Amino acid sequence: METLNRRAAFRLAGLSALGAALAACAPDAAGGGAPKGDAAARTFGFTSWSLNEEAQKAAVQAIVDAYAAKGGVKIDTASFPYNEYLNQVTLKLRGGQLSGAVQLDISWLAALAAMGRLKDLGAQAAKGGYTDVALSSGRFQGRQLGLPWTTGSIGLVANTEILKKAGVEGMPATVEEFEDALRKVAKLGGGITPYAAATKAAQLKDILPWMRTFGSPLLEGDTITVGDDASVAAVEWYKKLYDAKLIAPDVDRFDARALFAQGKAAFYDDAIITRGVVAAQSPDKSLTGKMAPLARPVLKAGDTPQALLWGHVIVVVEGEGSDAAADFASYATSDTATVAAFFEKVKLPPTTTAGLADPKVAGDTFTTEWTEKITKTATPNPFWRYAGYAQIETAIAEQVQAVLVGQSSAKDALAKAAETAKPLQK
Amino acid sequence: MTATLSRSVPIARAPRRRRPRSRAAAWAAVAVIGFFGLAPIYWLVVTAFTPDERAFTFPPSLVPTEITFDHFARLAQNEQLFGYLVNSVVVSVVTAFLSVLVSAYMAYAFSKFRYRGRKSLMHLVLASQLFPQALLLVTLYAVFSASGLLGSYGALILSFTTFTLPLCVWMLKGIFDTVPSTLMEAAAIDGASRWRTLHQIALPLAAPGLVAAGLFAFVRAWNDFIFALTLTDPDRQTLPPGLVHTYLGEFQTAWPDLMAASFVVSLPVIAAFMFLQRYLVGGLTAGAVKG
Amino acid sequence: MNRRLTDGQFAWLLMVPGLALFLAIIAYPLVSALVTGFFEQSLVRPGRAFVGLANYADLLGGDFWPVLRNTLVFTLGATIAPFVIGYALALALNAGLPGWLRGVFLFPWVIPGVVVSFLWLWIFNANYGVLNGLLGTHVSWLGDPTTAMIAVIVTKTWASFPWMMVMLLAGLQTMPKELHEAASVDGAGAIRRFRSVTVPHMRAIAGIAFLLEFIWNFQHFDTIYVLTGGGPAGATKTFAVAVYDTAFKGFDLGHATALGGLWMLLLLVLMAFYLRKENA
Repeated sequence: METLNRRAAFRLAGLSALGAALAACAPDAAGGGAPKGDAAARTFGFTSWSLNEEAQKAAVQAIVDAYAAKGGVKIDTASFPYNEYLNQVTLKLRGGQLSGAVQLDISWLAALAAMGRLKDLGAQAAKGGYTDVALSSGRFQGRQLGLPWTTGSIGLVANTEILKKAGVEGMPATVEEFEDALRKVAKLGGGITPYAAATKAAQLKDILPWMRTFGSPLLEGDTITVGDDASVAAVEWYKKLYDAKLIAPDVDRFDARALFAQGKAAFYDDAIITRGVVAAQSPDKSLTGKMAPLARPVLKAGDTPQALLWGHVIVVVEGEGSDAAADFASYATSDTATVAAFFEKVKLPPTTTAGLADPKVAGDTFTTEWTEKITKTATPNPFWRYAGYAQIETAIAEQVQAVLVGQSSAKDALAKAAETAKPLQK
Repeated sequence: MTATLSRSVPIARAPRRRRPRSRAAAWAAVAVIGFFGLAPIYWLVVTAFTPDERAFTFPPSLVPTEITFDHFARLAQNEQLFGYLVNSVVVSVVTAFLSVLVSAYMAYAFSKFRYRGRKSLMHLVLASQLFPQALLLVTLYAVFSASGLLGSYGALILSFTTFTLPLCVWMLKGIFDTVPSTLMEAAAIDGASRWRTLHQIALPLAAPGLVAAGLFAFVRAWNDFIFALTLTDPDRQTLPPGLVHTYLGEFQTAWPDLMAASFVVSLPVIAAFMFLQRYLVGGLTAGAVKG
Repeated sequence: MNRRLTDGQFAWLLMVPGLALFLAIIAYPLVSALVTGFFEQSLVRPGRAFVGLANYADLLGGDFWPVLRNTLVFTLGATIAPFVIGYALALALNAGLPGWLRGVFLFPWVIPGVVVSFLWLWIFNANYGVLNGLLGTHVSWLGDPTTAMIAVIVTKTWASFPWMMVMLLAGLQTMPKELHEAASVDGAGAIRRFRSVTVPHMRAIAGIAFLLEFIWNFQHFDTIYVLTGGGPAGATKTFAVAVYDTAFKGFDLGHATALGGLWMLLLLVLMAFYLRKENA
């Protein structure tokens, strides 16, 4: 057996050095540069995860087909699974493989905007007749980069039948009344989780609106205030509910919906869309009639209820076909007939004043009630302005979990969360 | 030496005389591990037949009380899923063949020749498995993008082939080590070229090992998620991203449909494996022993 | 024509396709990634700045040690358990049981990895999972730091024991049965025969099977990510999860690749140790 002799060693070292040199000189794929392609081209791409989701794909495809026929353009569609969507879109945009219109969750805007390749849609926004709150969801650092496709909120939903059985009168308006209602529900037994709040890492960001309810701004200027007295009080309260089994371990949004659909949860947090999803999973065909949205309870009467803004926007990548793509984005999000028909099929609330006033939308009481009670005061998550917001949320979620499982005190945990999150603010 | 090789090929139909007691112990072990191995599969199948509105009841009934074929019916109507299956089969089969070919050549070189750098290259091949593949993805994306292969089957096949090389090379090297050099010398004396010796003598003798390496490469390609998602166009995607895409959405997880689809697409593979498993065992034998 | 090549040249010729693939698909991206570890570089912003060893220093000063501990616990657990189960199964199947049984045990292996993770997520669910239904309990398997680690190890074990079985069964089948018979004649019991005949014979194959499984588990990502996302409270956060979070959630390529560099260094030391022992 020959050992690694000197010449072979040199050869290997040389090879590695060559590789390193090549790698160091390699054009940086994220290098920016002028947008490629003809902005006036009549062919453009449309990337959307909804194009492949069972419940929505037909409705989205209909919009694409209608616009292609009307405008005499060709639209190349692409789609990735929701959970991997941001990665994929990021890699593609970085590699210059993404063009045309792109559907985004409003929380992802900062990440895509950071690459500096999105087209300013100010002109389209000005003539679209969008509501102010909707427009704000597509704005980044003062520029209108996204046109709002749907704007809603994540809010609390209650099962009125369970509340009635437990003897809860009216909807709880303060945190105290809410806790009281939970305790009453707990007395019912029967494996009912009073509040199917998120306790899994992936969804624990749902605690952020509660921190705000307790009075923490989360972010002041560029300083993270997680760890202040208000946020500590919120986490201690959460822990109290957890220990009293008023909220259950190992729950994410999907679990919460499943529990709610089975009539095994009195309250849970969700976006408006999921009425249909919950109904489909439920053996109780009258469940939708018992679902009622409620404003998040406040710390003391008179406070503004907290809710998280939620929605989708369409952005346009500068370059090939971007003019037509911008027009398509405008059509898909603000043509009243189109958005009303879309709402009818998928129940995602439109973003224009005219769209919201359309009888198809205004006639849906669940939606109007939701808009009135929850979306009206909804605000975006302040961390969304950072491209790496998801890792900030993860850092906070991990520490809240440490409190829930009893490894750490709320004060220490949140101080650590803020410290971990600090270098991620970019 | 020849004996080592031939012993490795046959399978354990093993009509050995065994004491009943050890046979009973063997059955007991198989039963216990069988429960662990198959109970989840049973639950997968039960879930596939459970109506959506029953899927989340607690406690779940271990024997289904209500059965539906809806999920399978929906599966049959989903043409896209069939496309994913075709993509998976194409990518996995081609990867298996390519991986076997490339690694057999390499392994043969490692096994039958002595030259400078051989040993360090062998270690380098093994060491290439050590870096997090998620990070290779970022650069690999740029590499394929620059070469124009991005989005094609080629990008996936070349990546998976490379990822399977270390195991396949080490395994096949072990197998070639057991092929006696005297056979090859005899061939050389008869005037056969080195190419002919390799193709007509060494490769046929190593056949079971080649099958084993191929199955391993097949499974690697069949199971991959993140590369399959990132390096291809949506219409060339394989089953893992395809299933996730179809059933795990923004708002809902269609458990019963996912289970039904997973079960159905696994059946042809398991059938093929049932058929090929005799080679799988025989092949690994010869190789890995010498490792 | 071939005769004009020396043996060494012929060998290199045979290795050309494999080496070309390695250079393009692994070596180049690998070196490029390791270089990135010395830069501050974002996945979503253009440009980068050289920062020397700052990324490495940040990591060693941060959560590196708990993550290392989790990684080792997971890797050892998810390697030893399937090894033991696979070994037991291989011994049992080698004791003259029908051959089709082998095929049956391959089932978990061909179910796509992501589906395996979701299947077990479904089984372990605290609120409606079948495991709690079966035991009549309400344990939050994935919500408690101790049981969560066990749960991910069980899941990974389920997915990989068939492969272990195949490798080890292969080894058992090359064992000359005369050895066993001779030992039997000498009056050795089953346990003695296992220790003095089977184990020595299986050393090489068991070693390589264990090493490869160890390396793969060190890499392993899907199961943990799907089941726990690294939680609860970071109890199952391994290197793979940390790298993924840093690169694809925080978009921080510099720190992610530096973490990859540390990880590679660790494994290289382990491998060198193994190979030295092997060659000795």
